[in-house]
Amino acid sequence: MKNNVSLILGIILVLIIIVVWALSFIYMPYPPNEMNIPNKFLKPSIDSEHILGTDNFGRDILSRIMYGSRNVLLVAIGSVTLGTLLGIFLGAVAAMKRFADTIIMRIMDGLMAFPGILLAMMLVTVLKRGIQGSIIAISIFMVPVFSRLVYSMIQDTETLLYIKAAKSYGSSRRQIFFRHYIPAMLPRLITQFSSAIGSAVMIETSLSFLGLGIQPPFASWGLMLSESRQFFLGYPYLAVAPGIAIIITVLGFNLIGDGLNDILINRGNSNE
Amino acid sequence: MLGYVLDRFKSSIVVLFVVSVITFFVLMIIPGNPAQLILGTDATPEAISELHVAMGLDRPLYQQYLSWLLDLLKLDMGRSYVYGESVTVLIARSIPVTFSISIFAMILAVFIAFLFGMISAIKKNSIADYFSRSIMQLGAAIPSFWIGMVFIVYFGVKLKILPVSGFVPFEENFFKFIKSILLPSIVLAIGEVGTLLRIIRSSMLDSLKQDYMDMARVKGLSAGKIYIKYALRGALTAPLTIIGMQFAKLAGGTVVVETIFALPGLGRLVLTAVEHRDIVLLQGLVMFITSTVIIITLFVDISVMFLNPRIKKFKQGEL
Repeated sequence: MKNNVSLILGIILVLIIIVVWALSFIYMPYPPNEMNIPNKFLKPSIDSEHILGTDNFGRDILSRIMYGSRNVLLVAIGSVTLGTLLGIFLGAVAAMKRFADTIIMRIMDGLMAFPGILLAMMLVTVLKRGIQGSIIAISIFMVPVFSRLVYSMIQDTETLLYIKAAKSYGSSRRQIFFRHYIPAMLPRLITQFSSAIGSAVMIETSLSFLGLGIQPPFASWGLMLSESRQFFLGYPYLAVAPGIAIIITVLGFNLIGDGLNDILINRGNSNE
Repeated sequence: MLGYVLDRFKSSIVVLFVVSVITFFVLMIIPGNPAQLILGTDATPEAISELHVAMGLDRPLYQQYLSWLLDLLKLDMGRSYVYGESVTVLIARSIPVTFSISIFAMILAVFIAFLFGMISAIKKNSIADYFSRSIMQLGAAIPSFWIGMVFIVYFGVKLKILPVSGFVPFEENFFKFIKSILLPSIVLAIGEVGTLLRIIRSSMLDSLKQDYMDMARVKGLSAGKIYIKYALRGALTAPLTIIGMQFAKLAGGTVVVETIFALPGLGRLVLTAVEHRDIVLLQGLVMFITSTVIIITLFVDISVMFLNPRIKKFKQGEL
């Protein structure tokens, strides 16, 4: 565990976001959707009542950032959890039941072939826009990543002696899966989970930026940036806070993923 | 070796087929009647049911799928109801924009990633290494729409040296063409540099550990020769594969950048199709973009195999 800078830095950044998120339930300077037109476009300053300034409707930016963290984290963690569970299930079924193998893995190949946020955009077209729609769209995006990982890890461990021994003792498939496969896969799954949250935050904010995610008047960092597009030539500070919030979150989860990867998987022979 | 090529070819066809099934059926479960959507709310029920039959929507789903697939193979992707034009024509018109910025972005990303990746591997754990690894992490965490907005303010409005929106075709004015794609390409490149840098760095590190590196040093070759001729050549396989995949993904993933810089490319079309629920257009676009990705990936895999005799042997052993 020596000097794992990535992990420590990642944890600090994620903690900042978690504190902001937790605080949003206890105290926000202003109601996040409260408009106050006379106070619009106040510049950020420490002495002001609006530390991060106000937007075109006079809404307090700090409060909106805090409130937005709820939506961003809910969508990111919700979708990755859903995607992980579904991915583990499908990957395990494919690896342990012969007939399902080809069908499931070919579907996963197909899902993987859609580049970038194209799949999420296609799903959003069909689903209702908003928190639910974003969670489902992003979770389906995550499924093939996890199912492929689980599938290949089970195939790798299948031939190991202790699995063979468990089988020869007459352990059931379920027992082998929960007692042996899951513990063996845990390090990789946790690492992948953390990095996946980073990319889920990125997809969520991109969708919201394009107007396909969380809908106004609710606050989301991507949406705040998109709303500031009309005005930010005159008031560039509008884009600063949401941008930094996104960077901190994505960087934090990515760094944790990398740090865990060094500790849990590449033990000793790390190239990073 | 021919076996491997055929194998890759076969699996690409299977993936294409799966993609077409997913695309068709996902977009078929859309709520509401497409005929109603096209005619608007004040259309008479007769007119709607007439169009419904004319569009073939009364047929069983599998028949609709088969006829859609057959048309697709003939490059007939139907008519977009938002634009009232053939989808094939719309796509053909947008390709130059998206491909220009993707190609230019990849050139930039490859150049930067190789430069910093190699330095970072050769001078492992030096300040230069930490610097380029920070670029790598930051590049992956900065949202493209944010950096795009920052660029517009800085280069477009403050310095007034680059246009902030629109596209100039290169046959019209080459200099203006470069200027119009420069900012979008840099934004795209920033997003791609991180992944590539990471791969280059780790394959360089692997390559530096090989026995032939000691051999080259023992022979007393110059540092440049050692790093470029031996280390880099040994480390090219993985980056080449990734470059292919990234380029393929860029060609489809430019939605956000095209939106900020108001470029009339494929991404812009995708967004319009999603916003207006133009299913015919979206189906055509998704199929076109995804097929392009699959074909480029296949092409890259096969060429990497020809370039690297070690894979040839490895894959033969596997077959």
